Amino acid sequence: MLLDFAIWLQNTGLMRALRESDRGYETLLSLHVSFIALFGAMVAMTNTRLLGWALKQESVAAIIDQLRWPKRVGFLCVATCGFLLFGMKAEEYYLNIFFRIKILLFLTIAAHALVFRPSVYNTPSELEGPLGTPVRARAAAAIALVLWLGVVCAGRGIGYIHPPPFSHHFTSRLVMPKTRASHDSAGVLSSENISSPSESAIQKGEHYVDH
Amino acid sequence: MLITNPLETSELAFPILEILHIAGFIIAIGTTAAVDFRILEIGGIQQTPSQISKSTSWWMLGGLLVAIFTGLGLYSTDPDMYYTNWSFLIKMACLILVIILNYTVHRKMAYENSTSGGAKIVALLSLLLWASVIFGGIFIAFIRGGL
Repeated sequence: MLLDFAIWLQNTGLMRALRESDRGYETLLSLHVSFIALFGAMVAMTNTRLLGWALKQESVAAIIDQLRWPKRVGFLCVATCGFLLFGMKAEEYYLNIFFRIKILLFLTIAAHALVFRPSVYNTPSELEGPLGTPVRARAAAAIALVLWLGVVCAGRGIGYIHPPPFSHHFTSRLVMPKTRASHDSAGVLSSENISSPSESAIQKGEHYVDH
Repeated sequence: MLITNPLETSELAFPILEILHIAGFIIAIGTTAAVDFRILEIGGIQQTPSQISKSTSWWMLGGLLVAIFTGLGLYSTDPDMYYTNWSFLIKMACLILVIILNYTVHRKMAYENSTSGGAKIVALLSLLLWASVIFGGIFIAFIRGGL
């Protein structure tokens, strides 16, 4: 069912237009990483302050309260770019083990928010004490940092898995040879030409499979 | 005597370096962006630009150094490819420009808590250059040759 949804999503008009655009994927990926840099730094600032590692001249409440809305906007931007990237090649991502790990980590982060938001992130003024931030708050911060670092690692790992040859059920009106650049397991850049579908297959409106 | 690069023989070395490279620039760019958004008066941060800049300066430097040294390691795995890749060269040019900007005009304006038109232009330029560094890095894998 999820695979059917992925194939449907990647063949919607918007996703097809993005996939077949000249530099759409690379541009969206660059925007995704740019927003990750902003959002990731804010997450790091909040949680390192809770741990007492950084920004100690500012109060915990000041850091958490002032970064709350910028973090939400940042996450929205990251998630939007991420969804569009996913939608362009949904089938390929669905079959990618690192993408699945990334989604699992997101679900774990959601659970982390449910557990710790009421007692830590929503009550920052109660975290200031003569003995520093409570153990619960520091545990929340440490877990958050590990989870978000895991998301970054899993996200980067996606590019190291070559998609299986049967994972490109795209519909397209274009008949153009494509060159795909990729890194092998040692990170060495290589490229391969992908053969284009036959004219008759396109005219019949059949799905075609990239090799 | 043939000298092999250990980064090319280990399967995990390149991915680990990449993760550290990403972590380094998240810290460097994120902390600089915090100052930039404050100068631009976006985001509702109440601390002054100089307070933010002084609080984050060592983190910024640390992140930048991690990004640079891991970048050198990544470069060493295939120098010919990177050297002839125009996206990489643009990335390096933008990186050099933004480092110079950050430690000269940008720092001066931040420490003076300036939010004038000129300071805002410098902040925007800083954000644009950092974005160019990221775009340049991403596009390396999608650009074939060029030089």
